[in-house]
Amino acid sequence: MDALEILGLSDGAGEEEIRAAYLRKVKEHPPERSPEEFEKIRDAYETLRDPRRRMRALLLAGDPTVPLVSLLDGLPPLRRFVGPGPWLEVLKGK
Amino acid sequence: MSQSGKAVPFDPPATAAEASIRQLIANGKYKTALDQAKDNHKKQSTAASEALLLDAYAARIQSLLAQNLLREAQALMDLVCERFPAGRGRLESIGASVAARTNTLDDLLRPLNDPQLSPEHREAIEQAVRKEIFDLSALAACPVLPPEHPLRQAASSLDRAFRMVTTDAVEEEATRLPEVSRRSPLAPWKLLVRAIAAYYRGDLEACREQLDAIPADSAPARLVPAMRAMLGAQSSSPLSPAAKALVQQSGGDPAALRRALEALDRAWTGDSPRTVLSAARTAVQACRETAPGLLDRLKQHISVRCAVAGFDRGPVVQALGGATRHDAHFQRLLARAYEETGDLEDIPGACSAWEEFRQAAIKEGWFPPDGTEVATLYLHMASLACKIPPHLRDVLSGGMVPKKGSREAVYFLWPEALYQRACALDPHTEAFSEWLDRAREDSGQAPAERVAEQWHAACPTDLEPVLFLMEGAAARKAFPTALKYLAQAEQIDGVHPQVRRARLRLMAGGILRHIQQKKPHLAIAKLDALAALPEAHQGDRPAFLAALRFLIHVLRADMQEMDAAQAETERLLAGRVPAKLLIFGLAMAAKQLSPVVLDSPGMLTPPQRAAIPAALARVVALAKDMNSASIKIPQSYIDSAAQQLAGNSASLDTAQIQVLAEAGVNADHCNLAYTASAAGLQRGGASEARFLLLRARGLPERQFRRRALCAAAVVQIARQNRDTELLEKAANLLRGPLRSAELELTPAQAAEVLRKEKAEPEFLARSGEGPDYRDILKEKLCNCPECRRARGEAPDSFAGEVEDEFEDEPDLDKLFAGMPLPPDMPKDVAAMILEETRQAVERGESLESLMSRLFGPGASRRSEKKGRRR
Repeated sequence: MDALEILGLSDGAGEEEIRAAYLRKVKEHPPERSPEEFEKIRDAYETLRDPRRRMRALLLAGDPTVPLVSLLDGLPPLRRFVGPGPWLEVLKGK
Repeated sequence: MSQSGKAVPFDPPATAAEASIRQLIANGKYKTALDQAKDNHKKQSTAASEALLLDAYAARIQSLLAQNLLREAQALMDLVCERFPAGRGRLESIGASVAARTNTLDDLLRPLNDPQLSPEHREAIEQAVRKEIFDLSALAACPVLPPEHPLRQAASSLDRAFRMVTTDAVEEEATRLPEVSRRSPLAPWKLLVRAIAAYYRGDLEACREQLDAIPADSAPARLVPAMRAMLGAQSSSPLSPAAKALVQQSGGDPAALRRALEALDRAWTGDSPRTVLSAARTAVQACRETAPGLLDRLKQHISVRCAVAGFDRGPVVQALGGATRHDAHFQRLLARAYEETGDLEDIPGACSAWEEFRQAAIKEGWFPPDGTEVATLYLHMASLACKIPPHLRDVLSGGMVPKKGSREAVYFLWPEALYQRACALDPHTEAFSEWLDRAREDSGQAPAERVAEQWHAACPTDLEPVLFLMEGAAARKAFPTALKYLAQAEQIDGVHPQVRRARLRLMAGGILRHIQQKKPHLAIAKLDALAALPEAHQGDRPAFLAALRFLIHVLRADMQEMDAAQAETERLLAGRVPAKLLIFGLAMAAKQLSPVVLDSPGMLTPPQRAAIPAALARVVALAKDMNSASIKIPQSYIDSAAQQLAGNSASLDTAQIQVLAEAGVNADHCNLAYTASAAGLQRGGASEARFLLLRARGLPERQFRRRALCAAAVVQIARQNRDTELLEKAANLLRGPLRSAELELTPAQAAEVLRKEKAEPEFLARSGEGPDYRDILKEKLCNCPECRRARGEAPDSFAGEVEDEFEDEPDLDKLFAGMPLPPDMPKDVAAMILEETRQAVERGESLESLMSRLFGPGASRRSEKKGRRR
């Protein structure tokens, strides 16, 4: 899991967005309750804060071993307008 | 039986017949129910039997409507109305439905204009509208109702809204439709319009809510299953052809794609390429229908997996319905996939894919060709290239380079070329530091100094390269050059502890050099300057200064000052043994004859002998602190320290034991290194991983597998403890001298190695190979001839299995060519002595002990008398 994924950010996230995501995640996983998770979040934040580390994380992003079904995550579903015709055909009970 | 005794056909009582007929209706046996009701009415001819018959007709007509047999339903309805005019009221609701479904909308709605219309009839018409009317435009234009009739108004608004939401995105406000009341028979349409609008808006939750609220018996409910499929829900019953077509045209069934991808993921866990390709074909088809925007990405993922798994390309391309786009994204995915296999032989493939990625990404405009992104990429590629076994690199470069001898085409296989490019594009501290570390480990001092010079030129305010160059110059005894670098370091950061210690060390080195050159006046001046530094008075350093002073006064032949300096050294080190060891070692380092007589350990008192390990540890630590690690410790004292330590290590602290273990490693004294590491391992706690690493370093070379396992265990333990320094040391040992970078242990295996090593406290010099690691080590090491040779194994993996009697006799003339032998010594005897000496060196046996064993007691003393240096 790369830094962006850990903080739930997209590629183009700005500094403020990164900080907001970090604070949100820390609230979800405070260090005293889930120290391991917090450490991951902290590492991810440090990576994204350092311009060189961030660039590296972005360049090397993309996990080829993820389950293929996860490609659907966050993918906006395709919705095509087809006009009333096909809808009416269903109503007519064909 | 009748009273006359004549048998008559049995007729069930009327109530029983009615119950039976109603049961048939309830069970959906409408035709049978109607036939029985007709018979019943023929026999009974009562009002009740007629009512039952009309109900059976109604049920039959309803079933015909459900089967879309509208003409038959209408005909039967007309027949019933003609035969039973009095029963029209009973058939009103079904009559309205028939009228609605058979497009006789006018007939259905006309009664609504009648002011005398009964509430029941009105209710029946409205129910029919609710359940059967789907042509809103026809209803909106129905001529039998006045234009201002609420039903026409509502139908008109809904028709407009329905066309709008199925044609384009609309705001939520546009679907409020206040003109359609909740009580209107068309109210379910309002819910449908809102559901469609929410779907296209992407508000799936709202869409589901609206769908849930649509009454199941209303006309719009016919769209609910299709819409649920569009939302990804799995339908319990198959969709009608029209519904399937709608789902496919308007966005596909995401659940179908999800199921196909899940099936493909499952197929990868098996080992049948056929199953994988079949699942891939289905997934690609589902993706093409449902999410064409994802198709390229999905095909790239599948192609990369197939490539790494070694599938034939042809069937893969066929299963995917065509070739995959080889863009920057694909190359990056491929590179990452090769990295993830954990197989060293895939690393060149990863480097090559990263190079392809670089070129494709520049072409696609991801980043400029000479920016920091490319530098970052080169650094990553360099860190990968470092892992390529050299023999593999040679083989690959031989095969990959079009013109033999040119490295440029496959530069990405060479770390130094990649570091060079990275640092040229983006010269920064971390990049140079990584490059310098690599050069120091792989290429030696001179290339490393060239890297440090480049670093210093690019980042003149960085301290590390200056200190590295200074230490290099000091090691070469080029003190003026070293002082020049020291001056630069002091300019950069004069108060940095490393710089301050560097001055101390350089000055001490300079004094030793003056002593070696027999220039006591220069040495004493420098010693006074050294003594003026505040850091020269920390720890045992004053003893070091006193020992140097002693050596200077030896040159001056000033006996009184010599005695005073010796006494001062003894006082500061709290004993004669450590003081003499220090003076002896420094005299040797300055290439002077020892001015002190070191008693043989055998001549010391038992308490003095027992104190040898502590004395040795103190002197070695002090020498290391002052960067005089080259001071010589007599072998007899190292032997004695090992012996004493084996019997009693309790008086030493962990740091002292560690110093002794390091001293044993540095002196190639396997026994001391092993004994000290055993004592350290017995202490347990946080330092045991460090002692395990010292064991890996100190074991004889022939025990390479055990050494590699110990180092790999340290890597794992250090990783768990997040001890990056130790991790780096162990990884370097594993990657460098042990040539076993691919060896990785699980935490459980690392703990097992530690346990087994702790259980082996004694160094078995001659035959002991240590613990049995066959259960852990399942031929994880690289078995190529080069790596085997580098680890000290026979290059041919079968060579070790050849029995001794088949081995060729060594060519003694060749063996001793250019080596002076005593005139009367036969070459085969010399060969035996040579072999015995080699084995003694391997097991850390002292020269004294070896000579006693070979030539009898006293042999070593005779050699000492002749002044031979050990």
